[in-house]
Amino acid sequence: MSDIGYFALQLALAFSLVGFGWGIYASLDPRPERTRVLERLLLAVSGFTTLAITALFVAFATFDFQLEYVASHSARSMPLHYRLGALWGGQEGSLLLWLFMLCAYGAAAVFVHHRSSRALMPWVCTVLLANCAFFLVLINFTSNPFDKIPTGHVLSDGQGLNPLLQHPAMMIHPLFLYLGFVGFAVPFAFALAALLSGALDASWFRVTRRWTLIPWFFLSIGIILGGRWAYEVLGWGGYWAWDPVENASFMPWLAATAYLHSVMIQEKRDMLKIWNMALIGLTYALCLFGTFLTRSGIVQSVHAFAQTEWFGTIFLSYVLVTSLVFFAALYARRGRLRTPHRIESIASREAGFLINNWVFMAILLVVFWGTLFPVFSEALTGSQITVGPQFFNTMAGPLALFLLFLTGVGPLIAWRRSSLTSLRRQFVWPGIAGLLTAALLPVFGLAGSFYSHVAFSLGAFVMATIAQEYWRAIRVRMRSHAETPLAALGTLLRKNQQRYGGYIIHLGAVFVLLGAAGSAFNEELLQNVAPGDAIELRDYRIEYLTARPIPAQHYGGAVARLALYRRDEPLATMVPEKREYWLEEQPSSVPSIYSTLREDLYVILTAIEPDGSATLKVYCNPLVNWIWIGALAFVVGTAVVVWPHPARTTG
Amino acid sequence: MSKGVQIALGAGVCALLLGWYANTVLDEGATLTYYQTLEEFLAAPESAGSRPARVHGFVATGSIDRDVGAKVVRFRVQSQPPHAGVRPGGGLSVEYASLEVPDMFKDGAEVVIEGRLAHTGDARVFHATNLLAKCPSKFEAKLEDRASL
Repeated sequence: MSDIGYFALQLALAFSLVGFGWGIYASLDPRPERTRVLERLLLAVSGFTTLAITALFVAFATFDFQLEYVASHSARSMPLHYRLGALWGGQEGSLLLWLFMLCAYGAAAVFVHHRSSRALMPWVCTVLLANCAFFLVLINFTSNPFDKIPTGHVLSDGQGLNPLLQHPAMMIHPLFLYLGFVGFAVPFAFALAALLSGALDASWFRVTRRWTLIPWFFLSIGIILGGRWAYEVLGWGGYWAWDPVENASFMPWLAATAYLHSVMIQEKRDMLKIWNMALIGLTYALCLFGTFLTRSGIVQSVHAFAQTEWFGTIFLSYVLVTSLVFFAALYARRGRLRTPHRIESIASREAGFLINNWVFMAILLVVFWGTLFPVFSEALTGSQITVGPQFFNTMAGPLALFLLFLTGVGPLIAWRRSSLTSLRRQFVWPGIAGLLTAALLPVFGLAGSFYSHVAFSLGAFVMATIAQEYWRAIRVRMRSHAETPLAALGTLLRKNQQRYGGYIIHLGAVFVLLGAAGSAFNEELLQNVAPGDAIELRDYRIEYLTARPIPAQHYGGAVARLALYRRDEPLATMVPEKREYWLEEQPSSVPSIYSTLREDLYVILTAIEPDGSATLKVYCNPLVNWIWIGALAFVVGTAVVVWPHPARTTG
Repeated sequence: MSKGVQIALGAGVCALLLGWYANTVLDEGATLTYYQTLEEFLAAPESAGSRPARVHGFVATGSIDRDVGAKVVRFRVQSQPPHAGVRPGGGLSVEYASLEVPDMFKDGAEVVIEGRLAHTGDARVFHATNLLAKCPSKFEAKLEDRASL
């Protein structure tokens, strides 16, 4: 079976190279039959890649330790789901997964658009095939997961997988992240196809918009799942550390989010076309750059896979060439993308969107600068200087709050120009909600830091604007169509998916920011307790009962039993573990979390000391749950926006 | 003024503002740390004493001492992995102000310590406020060992 995978990858490479050559030919002088051949070549590459990844899954499932990759990333004691998840536990498999998703997206784009976007299809296929070819070269010649260990050596068992990766979130977090990263190849291909072919009518941006929303959604969820994994596995009580790898996934998200906003100006006012193109190019370039950052190990990171230098060089050249081609094409076509329209007033929605874009770009600049600061400083001064999370928080914090403010303002101001009366009518209630919150928080001692105070007040303001938007629209329908409130809500969501789905996504963003602002109230405590003794934090009392060994097959260690009380009311039994993975020779702390909408109580068993006492680290993290709830709102909101609707699925 | 110039001016002003703000944030000092290997750090003690540092080294075998009463962990770092045959006694003493150590922290682990150097009499002790540990890259090494049996 592994031989099939090996040859499938070689065939895929051959087909992708042939396809790329044919693509150039078919694109320069497009004819229907040539395009059809080209589409089939892309589908063939997808087929072979699917075969290869299936073969690798089978190898993991059947303990094929002949393969070096399988032997070094799995073991017999691992359950099947973790063995399958181990496919993306290392570089070779990750690259294959990337390629597979690129093919899947490419095939989907061909199926959906081969009729509707005839003029763009040749270049779309060519661009996608070029990307496939690059990854196939990389996989076949530098990181082949089907490489075998030298003949004559037999391994009875593999070496297992890093225990930190043996977690349910690690089964899906990389999948979502890759579905996000790779998916941006489709809008990129359509945009570049429009530039190269000169078919710059409205169709390219309608297609790219929809195809941006899908990977944007996966990337959003992927990032949040990564945070969840860090929170539950890494055991430091937090979910986001501004680690270079986290930043690498955050940067394309910022560019894509900016695009999803500014594309609305293009839709409504036919403006900013060059800028939108640039954002698509930037998003994909940042995806590739992020992969380079993660894989080349040029910046120190918890995720850093130290790699050979030339791997980084090849990958960086690929990033640069891709960006260069795109931006050169954009420059060449800039004349045809210009527009006579101008922004008429600062009190207009398009001005709001424009400022929103500037803020996104500013945050992007901050993250980029901070992430690469060690590289810049080493080049300039000879010593690596890193900037801590404090840098990112202080720099990006105010920008994020400003963005939150705009989230509330944007929907309230009209296109082109808002009159003073309409501004007053729109802003009265949300303004009151925000100011009232700002005034009341300190009274109840809930203001926290300056940032959290502002964040909560703005959050109230934004939620009030969203509620007002829904309420007014529902009321109008109830009056004009005599609908019940619920029916009116349903009609709204169907009739204006983008707008009302978008508001749900905004609500999710507010939840995530509120959850982050809750960290202003975090408390932590490290304490050594003897059995029977208790730790007190806020209202909570945590009593250490006993510790006993873990009787698991794959790992040993200790589990502590703790009784959790609020005042004298018993709440839960907490069981933080300190595991020792035998095969991997690596310990792993598994926190126990008591989670409510108000706050999380998070306990880590740091150590069982020789005298039988336990050293516990306890965190009280308010509002963390709202981050995950925000993710759910993203899911619901995106579903509303992309839900197929008969009247709208034209073009 | 053409639109391009306007955009360039706007972007320039924003970048300057951002840069100025970044500079004031960085001036507070707490967020900038110098990343050095242990050898580099020990070679430049005068600068090393005054500012926060991020030092890369390896935990000396048998040097880890958990002082539960004082809530600190003491250990030594050396510039080479222990099996590379570095004479004991070299390196730097570290006092980490917490009992909570990373999972990978153990004898021979590759660590990055963050904190400041303090002189008490003749003794130099590095007071670490943060401790990062990396798994010794045994995965690759072990496969070769076993494959050549």
